[in-house]
This record gives sequence, C-alpha cells and structure tokens, in this order.
Amino acid sequence: MKLTTRNAEIIVAVLLALCSIGLMIKSAQNRIDWTVEDNMGAGFMPFWLSLGMLICTIITIFKWILKKSPQSTNNEPFVDPEATKYVYVTILSLIGLILGTAYLGIYISLIFFLFFYLKVFSEKSILFISVFSIATPIITFCFFEWLLKITLPQGISEPLFYPIYDLMY
Amino acid sequence: METFYLLMNGIGTALVPLNLALLIFGCLIGLFVGAMPGLGSVNGVAILIPITFIVPPTAAIIFLAAVYYGAMYGGAISSIMLGIPGASTAVATVFDGRPLAQKGDAITGLTAAAVGSFVGGTVSVILFTLFAPPLAKVALAFNAPETFALMVMAFATFVGLGGDDIPKTCFSILIGLVLSTIGLDLISGQPRLIFFGVPGFLHGVNFLVLAIGIYGIGEMLWTLESTKGAVQISSIKFTFKDILESFKKLKGTLMAMTIGSFLGFFVGILPAAGATPAALMSYGITKQLSKNSAEFGTGVPAGVVAPECANNSASTGSMLPMLTLGIPGSPTTAILLGGMILWGLTPGPLLFTQQPEFVWGLIGSLYIANFFTLILNVALIPAFIMVLRVPFAILAPVIFVLCVTGGYAPTQSIHDVWLMLLFGVVGYILRKLDYPVAPAVLSIVLGPLAEKAMRQSLIISDGSFNIFLDFTIKPIAATIMYIALIFLFLPLINVLKNKLFPKKA
Repeated sequence: MKLTTRNAEIIVAVLLALCSIGLMIKSAQNRIDWTVEDNMGAGFMPFWLSLGMLICTIITIFKWILKKSPQSTNNEPFVDPEATKYVYVTILSLIGLILGTAYLGIYISLIFFLFFYLKVFSEKSILFISVFSIATPIITFCFFEWLLKITLPQGISEPLFYPIYDLMY
Repeated sequence: METFYLLMNGIGTALVPLNLALLIFGCLIGLFVGAMPGLGSVNGVAILIPITFIVPPTAAIIFLAAVYYGAMYGGAISSIMLGIPGASTAVATVFDGRPLAQKGDAITGLTAAAVGSFVGGTVSVILFTLFAPPLAKVALAFNAPETFALMVMAFATFVGLGGDDIPKTCFSILIGLVLSTIGLDLISGQPRLIFFGVPGFLHGVNFLVLAIGIYGIGEMLWTLESTKGAVQISSIKFTFKDILESFKKLKGTLMAMTIGSFLGFFVGILPAAGATPAALMSYGITKQLSKNSAEFGTGVPAGVVAPECANNSASTGSMLPMLTLGIPGSPTTAILLGGMILWGLTPGPLLFTQQPEFVWGLIGSLYIANFFTLILNVALIPAFIMVLRVPFAILAPVIFVLCVTGGYAPTQSIHDVWLMLLFGVVGYILRKLDYPVAPAVLSIVLGPLAEKAMRQSLIISDGSFNIFLDFTIKPIAATIMYIALIFLFLPLINVLKNKLFPKKA
C-alpha cells in the first residue's frame, strides 16, 4: 500500500485512538474517581483527558470516512519521494548519536555524527569536515563543562577527561 | 514626590561605575544564556550567585537582575533565528518570529523582539515604581481558585491558536495536558503513567524536552523535506537603513504592546506564575482581538511584540512579590530570593524602609538595564543575522547538536534526549497532517499549574465547582472564569456571525 496522505491520516488517527485507550488503561491503575471526602484520585486527570483525546480521534476518523477533511482526500505521497533519503538518514543518524552518547559519550559521538552528516549532505572538503567535527565538541565542552559547570555524558570515554578536570578544578 | 526622589537616588546608585559595569556585563551574559536552547535565566542566575559574594548586596542584585533581564531579551534570538525557543518564555515568539526569518525579514523579527521587550520592561518598571505596595496586596488576594481561572483563560486563548480543525486542536491541547500529568501525583505522591516501569518518567516530562523536540528536531525534519537537503545560502544583506526601516514596520503593534505590557505585569506579580504563562496568554489574546488574526502565525510583527512585551513585563512584575512579600513570583526570583537571604537581607514590607538603597537601587537599575539591553540587542542584530548566512548543510547539524545538549541540560538525563527525539519525529508527522503542535507545548507548561490550582480549590470548597463560578464566594475567580468562557466561545461566535451576517463581497 502506497503511503499517501490519505492513508497516513487514517493510520495516525487509529494509532492515536489506540494510544488514548492505552493511556486510559494505564491511568486506571490509579484511582480515577472523585469523592468529596477523598477528592480526586491520582488517575482522574489523565483518564478523563485521555477519554477526551479518544473522542477527538474518533471524530477525526469519522471525518476521514466522510471525506470532510483535506487530508482525507489527498492522494499525494505522504513524504516527498525525493526527500525521503534526507528525512530517514537524519532520523537514523540522530538515533546513532543518542545511542553513542549513552555509551561512548557525547563528545566522541558528536565527532562521528558531524563527520557522517557533513560528508553525506554537504559539499565541503574532508579537511573542513574533520576540523569542524573536532572543533564543535571542543567548543561544546568549554561552554558546558568549563563555563556553566554542566557535565555532559561521557560514557566509556570519561577517563580521558580526568587530566582536564584536574586542570579545571 | 518622595517616590520620585527615591527613584532618582536609585538610578544614581545604579550609575555608580561598579554597578553600571556589572549591569552591562549581566545584560550581555543574560542575552547569551537566554539565546541558548535548554538554558534560561534560571541557569544563568543560579550559576552566577557565587560570584556575587565578592561585591556588595546592591551590586549583586543589580548584576543578577540584569542577567534575568538579558535572558528575557535573549530568548527571542534563537526563537527567531533557529525556530527553537531559547527558553520557555520565548515559545510564543517562535510562532511569528520564525516565519518572519523564513520570509527573509529576520531584522524585523529581531527589532520587534527588542522594541517589544523594551516597551514591556519600561511600562512594568513604571508600574512597579508607582504601585508596588498596593499591588502586593492584590497579589496576595490571588489564591488557588483565581489561579485556576487564569489558567482556564489561558487555555481558552489556545483554542484560537489552532487551525480550522477543532478536534485536532483539542487533541493537541489534551495530549499536552496528559503529558504534564506524567510523574508523581501532586497531592497523593503516587506515580502515574510510568510507562514500562522506566524510572525516567518519575520526574515527568520537562516542557523543554517537548519544545526542543517539536521546534528543533521536528522543524528541521520539515525543512529538510521541503528543501530536499538543498544547500541554501541566505544572501541576506543588511544595512543600517534596513534596521531603521524595520522600526517603521512596528507601526501597527500598539495593541500588542499594550496587552503584553499590562497583562504581563499583572500575571508576573502573581506568585509562582512567571513570565511563561504571561507571554503565552498575551500572544493568544492579542491574536483573538486583532483584526488580522488569520495572519498570526505567518510572520506578523505583532505576534513577536506581544509575547516579548509580556515576558519582560512579567520578569519585572515577578520581583514585586519577592521584594514586598518574600514570595518568589517565578523560578528565577526564587533563586534571587535565596541570594538575598545569603546576603543578609530579609525580604518583606520592611525592606522598603530598612534597606531603601537596595530596593530603589534595584528598581533604578531596571530602568538602566532596559535601556542598555535594547542598545545591545539592536547593535548585535548584524551578528545574529550572520547565522542565516551559514549554509544549511552546516547549520542543520549544529542545530541538532544544540537540540541534543539542550534536551540533556535541564535534567541531565539521557532518557529525556530519547523523548526529545520521539517528540520531534511524532511532531513532524502530526504537523504534516495539520495537527497544531503549539497548543500541546503550551498545555504541558500550564497543565501542572492548572491541576494544582484546581485540586486545591476543590479541597477548599469540599468538591463544589461553585467556587469558580459564584461571584459571592470568589468574585475575582468568577470574573476571570466568565471572561475565559467568552474567549473560549469567541471563535464559535465569529463563525456563527459570519454565517448569519456574511460580509458583502
């Protein structure tokens, strides 16, 4: 099935409806009623708000069936075919960056991320890309850790920074 | 007359070389910190408090207040230039600031933000000077029912922020409210909506995670798709004449300035409200009352002026309960309050009489800070514009780096960075299907305030909703609630009016 905007509208509406039902079930793990003596249960607000979400998605689904919304009559591709590469590669590289941040540390991951991203999408030389990829984490370190004293995740690369911390502190 | 002399003495104190130098330095730091996504005035003020121990208390408070002020100005810069809110107070600035930059008119956006901030700051400092003690009493009269009514009014203005699809707009508001309930319940302390037992959800979903995800990652995915990764170099050239021309484009923004200044100050003086709800409400109400409300969101100067006026006005207003009652009006003033106690001062009504040099030195410095920050902001516009000249292929990864660090900085949790990416991708998909994302961001900010106020009110009233609607019980709350209902149904009234009395072609 080709992913047109029309298809995407109904798929997303159904998914959101299922999410709303899931939120209602999850909320019901706490008390969802309201009594004068005990006031609102912890689950009261999320449960009834999720019910509101479900109603909104049902209305959206009905509008799709009746072809009342612009998206329900739009058979254009949901994502521009010429742009899919840029969107998907960007999302995957961001996933790689965050995974790398958790394990290798943000500074090492940034070097790989920037090198890969600029190599794929920019027309800059290898020298420029290399310098940029190394300079950006250095600037990030100086700004966050030295100036603002906010420690960013370093993962397994943390021991490399001990000599720098000895100088800083 | 006595107030005038005290104010003049205060301005004189602010112009003492040490104080003036700290003021200008503070404005610069605040500008920079406010412009960085993920950081805000709270970070700047908290980190710089230790530096203030080496100077007298008056100089210290002038310095920190200047940082706070500068951050209010600075938040607009990344909102306009990158489409990522620099702080929660600058979210509403994105709605029209970013489209202005995309249309090639970033100078007007930056000028509108600078002028709006200046006007809001000036009006609020004048109001502060003249009405501090009586306004403090009004602020004290604001309790949970009044706060909830104010939040309802804020939500009512959000409906106008969505597009024509009301169910999708309502969905957006509701999902923001649901996200704000994740974490520990306010009253009982029970965990709720802790998905898959992940401990990261226990501290809730930080507003900045959602905002940076949607406006950073989501916006970049949208731009990548629309430009197909084409390397774009902005050929924006600017001259001093362009900056002067941009001032002329602010002609029709008087209403926005008025609403922003007064509403911002009023919301700012309420304890625990702060500049964020003030900016959001100011945008919503200005849009609702504007003759050109349909143009809001496409890049109109009034859409930048309104929230910027309000957040600067509120930042001054939030100092009023801090100084007069010892109650912080915002998270940043809570830190300032801590600083005052560390310096040996006792906030409260007696501060005005026992430490007049401190209080009026602060008030005087706000006038000066307002002036200098405007000059700095306008003078640095060329530097800000340079950002647009960076090739998109280079700017995009830099923005992603800012998003990742900005998503991590508030809570220092990698869990939040994952959430940020998820929100970004989902926000991109929903935006393609015309789900307005702005109401979700606004709801997650105000949701906790609204829920807390509502539940406290219902405890007070033994479960009766009349506490919000009965003029004899809580007249202020009832007044605000009925005004909120008018705002809520105003779009519907307009639709009916147009159908019953169609405009002649």
